[in-house]
Amino acid sequence: MTLQIQRSFDQEKGRWNITPKGDVDISTAPVLRKALDEAYGEAKANVVLHFDQLNYMDSTGLGVIIGAYGRMKEGGNDIILQNPRDNIKKLLRITNLDRLLCPELCE
Amino acid sequence: MTDMVKFSVPGKPQYVGTIRMAISSLAHSLGFDVEAIEDIKVAVSEACTNAVCHRSTINGEYEVFCELSKDRLVVSVVDKAGGYNPETYTEPCLDCPKEGGLGIYIIKALMDEVDIFTEVGIGTRIQMVKYIGELPR
Repeated sequence: MTLQIQRSFDQEKGRWNITPKGDVDISTAPVLRKALDEAYGEAKANVVLHFDQLNYMDSTGLGVIIGAYGRMKEGGNDIILQNPRDNIKKLLRITNLDRLLCPELCE
Repeated sequence: MTDMVKFSVPGKPQYVGTIRMAISSLAHSLGFDVEAIEDIKVAVSEACTNAVCHRSTINGEYEVFCELSKDRLVVSVVDKAGGYNPETYTEPCLDCPKEGGLGIYIIKALMDEVDIFTEVGIGTRIQMVKYIGELPR
């Protein structure tokens, strides 16, 4: 299982764009945590996680995102997930995290 | 007729994905649809993640038993990591969600039947059933 992460800072919108590709599970969740921590350490700003190319995620990935969400809320910032695939949408729905992390699913 | 497929898995994170792929292949061969296969993949990964996070020794192994029938798949994930007291247990693993029990909660939401047997000093068995098509009445 592999996970590749691209991240870039959008100067115009003042936010991070982070795109994970592959699978997030217990073996790759630390890679996602590191990417989120490093980005937020470099510049405290909102984070948009682009999930278009994320094939798989389970509670280990949710745990990382929940942790980052808590730290970012303390700093007054948000973390938003965009375009999750159906399997990840379902995971967000059953854990009630869609309202918190992915408002587009509740529109 | 029921076929049984067994895996003995080192309690290391990198093998959870291997089991996920294997179970996905078994579920596909039984005729589950795409959504059900995704449910099974997540549920089995959650159970394996629990076994890996809870293992008591660095080289601890766990076992995954798959019973393949024409109308159902039964997967049991069994570790000998000493079990836990659900009343007092807190997740020790850095990669586990801070909200305790999220993995088990997800397994119960995705599978048709779930039974968890845990005994302090012995280990934990998570048994999950997914039916093909309509649930039996």
